[in-house]
Amino acid sequence: MRLAVALLGMAMPFPVVLRALDPAAVRTHTLQNGMKLIVEEDHDIPNVAMYLFYKVGARNERPGITGISHFFEHMMFNGAKKYGPKQFDIEMEKAGGRNNAYTTEDMTVYTDWFPNTALRLMFDMEADRIQNLSFDPNVIESERGVVASERSTRTDNSNYGLLQEQLHAAAYTAHPYGWPVVGWPSDIKSWTMEDLQAHFRMGYAPNNCVMVIVGDVATDEVLRLAREYMEPIPRHDPPPPVRTVEPPQLGERRVNIVKRSELPLQFVSYHIPNAADKDLPALEVLSAVLTEGRSSRLYSRMVDREQLALTAQSAAESRLDPGEFLLFVRPRAGVDVAVTEKVLFEEIEKVRTTEIPVDELRKAKNQLLTNFYREMKTISGRANQLGTAEIFLGGYEKMYETPSRYEAVTAADVLRVAKTYLGPNQRTIATLIPEIAKPVVPKPEVSN
Amino acid sequence: MLALAWVATAQVRLPQYTRQILGNGAVLDVMARKDVPLVTLRVTFKGGAEAEPPTLSGLAKVTAEGVRRGTAKRTSEQFSHELDSLGAAFNTNADLQSINIHAEFLSKDLTTGLDLLMDAILHPAFQESEIKKVTAQQVDSARAIKDSPDAAAWEYYRSFFYGPSHPYGRPADELSYARITAKDVAAFHKRMFVGQNMIVTVAGDVDPVTASKTLSTSFGLVPEGEMYQWVQSVGKRTPVAGQVKATRIAIIDKPDATQTSFLIGQPGIERNHPDRVPLWVVNTIFGGRFTSILNDELRVNSGLTYGASSRIDQTHLPGRITIASFTRTETTVKAVDLALTLLRRLREKGVTAEQLASAKQYLKGTYPADRLETPDQLVDILSEIELYDLNRSEVDDLFSRIDAVTLERANQVIQKHYDSAGLTFLLLGNAAKFGDDLKKFGTEIVTVPISRPGLRVEP
Repeated sequence: MRLAVALLGMAMPFPVVLRALDPAAVRTHTLQNGMKLIVEEDHDIPNVAMYLFYKVGARNERPGITGISHFFEHMMFNGAKKYGPKQFDIEMEKAGGRNNAYTTEDMTVYTDWFPNTALRLMFDMEADRIQNLSFDPNVIESERGVVASERSTRTDNSNYGLLQEQLHAAAYTAHPYGWPVVGWPSDIKSWTMEDLQAHFRMGYAPNNCVMVIVGDVATDEVLRLAREYMEPIPRHDPPPPVRTVEPPQLGERRVNIVKRSELPLQFVSYHIPNAADKDLPALEVLSAVLTEGRSSRLYSRMVDREQLALTAQSAAESRLDPGEFLLFVRPRAGVDVAVTEKVLFEEIEKVRTTEIPVDELRKAKNQLLTNFYREMKTISGRANQLGTAEIFLGGYEKMYETPSRYEAVTAADVLRVAKTYLGPNQRTIATLIPEIAKPVVPKPEVSN
Repeated sequence: MLALAWVATAQVRLPQYTRQILGNGAVLDVMARKDVPLVTLRVTFKGGAEAEPPTLSGLAKVTAEGVRRGTAKRTSEQFSHELDSLGAAFNTNADLQSINIHAEFLSKDLTTGLDLLMDAILHPAFQESEIKKVTAQQVDSARAIKDSPDAAAWEYYRSFFYGPSHPYGRPADELSYARITAKDVAAFHKRMFVGQNMIVTVAGDVDPVTASKTLSTSFGLVPEGEMYQWVQSVGKRTPVAGQVKATRIAIIDKPDATQTSFLIGQPGIERNHPDRVPLWVVNTIFGGRFTSILNDELRVNSGLTYGASSRIDQTHLPGRITIASFTRTETTVKAVDLALTLLRRLREKGVTAEQLASAKQYLKGTYPADRLETPDQLVDILSEIELYDLNRSEVDDLFSRIDAVTLERANQVIQKHYDSAGLTFLLLGNAAKFGDDLKKFGTEIVTVPISRPGLRVEP
């Protein structure tokens, strides 16, 4: 991610389709160079969310240049031909806009929010940097320091970040999802100008980009501006396919980190299919059954009744290639991690052997449905969902099918996916064990 | 659909809403927003951490959490089960100024949801066993903050800046949570959860007329009680604007840290201060956005950090203006030096007409999506207006107030509010690597090992 957030000081039960949930509000168009546009008008507030999804991320890297997609995300703000260094941010903020960007294993996403009056400016600046990014050695060195600081704050100085990094590295033995999006420290120090230029040529083709615009715009004007600014950019080859397929995991894997910390942490990961797979909705329901809300199985037992943990969370990842089902537990002080682990696996075994009751299934579906509605509240939430559905599910319109995808899941489906994917031989366990420092209770010293 | 009026230079306006005062003194605001089939309710009780007895920091938070941990009619588990079955969101929180409950239901479930919400507000059981669970969890959570150095730095800084005699200077920690009993919680609830203290703000997929009737009947059942009176005076050790005091430096020593979090603060303003809009504009230029002076120099030009900012507290009593950043251990002094140089330069040179024009446009452009887009944001802003005795002009006249900030006014505000002397420093990091070098900034240095229980500089 480019900026820390802190820097910036819903089976429809309703007869009427509310505006944010109406697929008829969306129009699409593919430019001659292959760039796809998805536009939804929403005139509630005088603002626009413009999201550019480039299908290039950590999975398109290789050892030695890990983290370069993310570094590139930073470099996209450091000057092009018409708009020089700093100009993107300066012009944008002057026009009342704000931006951010994020990089994942699968894609690099640029997120622009601005008043409707800045639409032309944004097309001009986005087209400029896609086409004519500049590579100044001094700027690269300075930005390298920024990324090193980002890594330091999110990973090296964060027990959660550090442990998660080790978890992925152990869960994947061959596929690129095993290395961190931010990059290994040695690679951060050594990307070269040639690496950067090659990465730009590979990833930043208009035909490798989906642009989503939601907000106070006229669709016809958006299409006019897209033809004027984006269509002239020549298409070229997108990144080559990722060939490596992670081989099946044949036994439990473990990784431990021993370091100074107040409390231990635990992650467990299982391999699951990619985002478009038919089993993903059932895995999402399973995740909700385990950890969504305080009445969920893991929360109610581990956090509430038995007081073993402060937190119990889970997620079924949506990835282009097969991803992970992740569980995260923060054991309480003084609780043996062997105990939290045992309880966690007992609960996993239950969902692998017995169908969940009907009312529990209903509850999980209601939770997923309202979570979906919550993401639809904002123009930026909808821009993100539309683009994500386009890239991961093969069509933006699939976003509107989210409620029916969840609704179709049966208790038998949940049992089947739990049995298939959450077996003991398919898990990777990562544990952070506190190295106990002797508590000292001196008076504060005052030196003069 | 209520659309916000907008032409290029126009004002934004708060969408229409109904406002009524109930018989028990509570305020009820209702606003229709028809995007998704959800309704959001925020119930705010004036007081918050400010109202806690000095030795019981965290009582407001435990009370907020306690209301959902079992009632006269439902056990804690039943309560959560019913909420989850509706797909509802139900979050309780406490800040310096209030306890608040933020609940969200499918609009078709409003009646059922309201029954749960009222049960929590009116009839919490506060059983000893449940409250013990809450405090024990909070004890561990307070300890776990130390595993997130940036968050820990802000807690220590609060304690150091305001001092223990100020109601804002007593962050809750494992020591204070351990002292809180179910009896304390029940007494605090009885005193604070009263109609005279209550602000109910509702937005979403509802009909304001019929919803207001249902809501006023339910919330009218809360006993009237006595209105909480804000604290008027502050501890004598807290820095006050305009009084020159010595530089104070605290180091929280974390020997395994690879980076240093640092905060540099000075007295700021209270929420309703007449300078709030010009100060917001000026602070945006100094440290409130990506192209701000601080972020541009510390991040973009020098690569010393991932982010640097300046933040203004908005609290009932005067708050702080704080420079915040972090950097690798080796560049600690260099980064602090640079931040101070920029603060001095701001005072000496002020801001330019170009910077001012850009910041004004930036604030007007980002405000609608930041504050007025979703029902959650709207219930928050309505609640803020009521809590601080403001009115809708806080939103409706905001853009004209921003437009009215001239260059002269902006530079006056800088002279008045940004000082480069008498600052309060807090650094969290590996003290052995930079502690001695800090003497160039000030000689009164306190060092606290992070392993010492609690989150206070002065125990």
